[in-house]
Amino acid sequence: MYATRFGKQFAASALALAVSWSVQAAGVTDDDLLNDQDTVDDVVTYGMGLQGQRYSPMNDLSTENVKQLQPVWAFSFGGEKQRGQESQPLVKDGVMYVSASYSRVYAIDAKTGEEIWQYDARLPDGIMPCCDVVNRGVALYGDKVIFGTLDAKLVALNKDTGKVVWIKKVADYQAGYSITAAPIIVKGKLITGVSGGEFGIVGKVEAYDPNTGEILWTRPTVEGHMGYVYKDGKKIENGISGGAPGKTWPGDMWKNGGAATWLGGTYDPETDSLFFGTGNPAPWNSHLRPGDNLFSSSRLAIDPDDGSIKWHFQTTPHDGWDYDGVNELVSFDLKENGKTIKAAATADRNGFMYVLNRENGDFIRGFPFVDKITWAKGLDENGRPIYTDNGRPGDPADMKGEKGKVVVAQPAFLGGKNWMPIAYNPNTELFYVPSNEWSMDIWNEPVSYKKGAAYLGAGFTIKPAHDNYIGVLRAMDPKTGKEVWRYENTAPLWGGVMTTAGNLVFTGTPEGYFKAFDAKTGKELYKFNTGTGIVGTPITWKMGGEQYVSITTGWGGAVPLWGGEVAKVVKDFNQGGTVWTFKLPNDNVASR
Amino acid sequence: MVAVRYLAVLALLVLTGPALAESVLDRPPDRTYDKVIESGYLRVGVYENFPPYSFVQDGEPAGVDVDVGRAIAKKLGVDFQVHWITPDETLQDDLRNNVWKGHYLAKRRIADVMMRVPYDTDYAYMTESTGEMVNEEVVMFGPYQKEQWQIAYDPNDLEAVQTVAVFQYNPIGVEIDSLPDFYLSSAFRGRMRNQTHHYHSIGEAFDAMVANEVSAIMGMRAEVDYLLATDPDHRFKLAENGFPGIAKQQWDVGMAVKSSHRQLKYAIEAAADKMVRDGEMKAIYEHYGLRYGLPAYYEEVLGQAEE
Repeated sequence: MYATRFGKQFAASALALAVSWSVQAAGVTDDDLLNDQDTVDDVVTYGMGLQGQRYSPMNDLSTENVKQLQPVWAFSFGGEKQRGQESQPLVKDGVMYVSASYSRVYAIDAKTGEEIWQYDARLPDGIMPCCDVVNRGVALYGDKVIFGTLDAKLVALNKDTGKVVWIKKVADYQAGYSITAAPIIVKGKLITGVSGGEFGIVGKVEAYDPNTGEILWTRPTVEGHMGYVYKDGKKIENGISGGAPGKTWPGDMWKNGGAATWLGGTYDPETDSLFFGTGNPAPWNSHLRPGDNLFSSSRLAIDPDDGSIKWHFQTTPHDGWDYDGVNELVSFDLKENGKTIKAAATADRNGFMYVLNRENGDFIRGFPFVDKITWAKGLDENGRPIYTDNGRPGDPADMKGEKGKVVVAQPAFLGGKNWMPIAYNPNTELFYVPSNEWSMDIWNEPVSYKKGAAYLGAGFTIKPAHDNYIGVLRAMDPKTGKEVWRYENTAPLWGGVMTTAGNLVFTGTPEGYFKAFDAKTGKELYKFNTGTGIVGTPITWKMGGEQYVSITTGWGGAVPLWGGEVAKVVKDFNQGGTVWTFKLPNDNVASR
Repeated sequence: MVAVRYLAVLALLVLTGPALAESVLDRPPDRTYDKVIESGYLRVGVYENFPPYSFVQDGEPAGVDVDVGRAIAKKLGVDFQVHWITPDETLQDDLRNNVWKGHYLAKRRIADVMMRVPYDTDYAYMTESTGEMVNEEVVMFGPYQKEQWQIAYDPNDLEAVQTVAVFQYNPIGVEIDSLPDFYLSSAFRGRMRNQTHHYHSIGEAFDAMVANEVSAIMGMRAEVDYLLATDPDHRFKLAENGFPGIAKQQWDVGMAVKSSHRQLKYAIEAAADKMVRDGEMKAIYEHYGLRYGLPAYYEEVLGQAEE
């Protein structure tokens, strides 16, 4: 007995030693991840730093020379599978790791654009992901490339060969779960959320061992569900989310409350908190579920060690518009009145931007980042919305056989901002927010069916708020809540943003242009037509002494699926699937 | 973006046609009547795991809709081939994914005919805000059954269910995100809401009634009939209450094919019509222990009362 236990301990510590050795010997370390925002030679995290600022301290590219930016290579994802490419690439040791639609991953020589390996996840028949077949990126750790699949699995690949090391099922795709977000790695733990819009799911955040795929803890994001930590193969209770069921939900509705964590999360090492946003509550008809419906449409601060919820901030209590609350919470230092506050900001689907104290979730201020908000008159001193009278879609149960009264809501349910990440520049102290100006008409359908049975359905149409533009890239000042500059775009913006110490802001448009702007003034300095719509997020890194910029291109995502009258604006955009990589021509670098 | 729960296939309709440049191989096969006959099989779309209408029994497709599909294929002189449908959020989604366009993950996987499509002219001719027809890509036809809502209860818990008011005080199980769910969660200002228990299927709700978790269940009549028939103790009873506030309490169920496949539609329609008229349809329902509801369409045509 004794000897066996000793033997086990020895084996375990030897294993731990071996693991830490291998991590140091090859590939990405915990230090690499923690310092990603400061190291220019690589991009090893989704968000270009775990805090998600998407800021690079590089200034080789500047407002002066960015107009000379030229493509150096383009890599096609190939195959017949295209649709939306929402991935952010990673770069480490001269190799780019990028995911593509339909749960594909590629390793590419970052110098030449030549393929090193490709991995295609085998997706089951009959899978029904709700909102296009996107993937937003991979995580790197040690010698592994790890990503989530449309059938809700985590897959770890060897970074050199693309061969599978382990596959772990996170949730049941048949029950409506999926994974589209990039996982993150924090303190040696692989952290992931889940997607799923179907009625009946419960959102969760989970931690896995990145070396083995073993689960470490799970935290449901709906009040009333038990969280667990796993130790030595045992599942140990770790407290009910929100303390008890039924506090903010009627009946047993908390059992299937939604709140999917479909956009992944960020991490702040200073407060040692994971920040995850949560999706809308279920069912869609808010009249069935009076109450705040925690923790739907919220931001959660989660302890990375055991998954405990430290604090929450709910942006849309009792969400009846499908505003959802998954948007990323970006940590930054708010310098105000001679003090530096550990703050974080988030631009919500509901049209408001929130500045919170990231130590405790306290509301500092909130303000609209879109031109018009119809559903709320404003926010109270705690950041809770003051609802407009008659701004809530009607109860389908009140139907009397005719089309119901039309309620106009702005922003539309696709949001003032949707999934596409914002960026923060500590030099300008501004947030760069890709946003959209659109409204929706919602009404109750007179006749509707589901699975062979009569049903109560709601209809909706999304409408552009203006004749000549929908997308607006905005520079927002977190101190004043004021818009400092704006760039208007004909089609809705659906790609992420990056900013640099070169006083630049980069993003792409569905029209296919990769663009750079002056971070202080918003002046457009550069554009390049990539040939298909851009819904990806740019990165920048340094290689051989030169600054490179990359973006995935390929039109798709939710807009063409749910665009309503917006479809007229985007229907002629062609699909694609390419990584474009840019740098300055060599002679320009030399003469700079 | 997560939630796709509105009736919003409209954008997709706009985007079909030449706007999407697809390779020929990526399109659903255009199986007209001639091609169906030539190929020797009819591919019949039925919902998966949906007893008593369509499910797998002893490794084989079974259920009312499967048997009706088999009988139609036989009358057409071809083999029956099953096409399992994973239900999406609304019928419009199912029609798009399985009848006229194909799901974007598997565009070539499509049914020649889909069963259990409500036959309702208001629905068939529904228009969107632009005035375009919502369902113009399919033709819905051939009503073969009338369906309605039904409550069953445990007489140990409840003496009777004369009105739904008893569910202010007694727990009732429903399938999540179904009309019974909406009805019991919202009718009478939510007074039955706290007694409404949600399950992933009506079968799970029935199991909960067997386990004395709930005193009653509400679902479609054929589903409830079938569950009660499978219970060895026969301890549950059918309620006779009405459903005040439900706009559509009964509806006819038929089939759908792609709107350009009219000849196939006529052939299937004739086969189903014969089955309704000569009693073969009723026999299929009775085989599964179900009451048969003659479609309202036939009540008008034949002047025949139900049952």
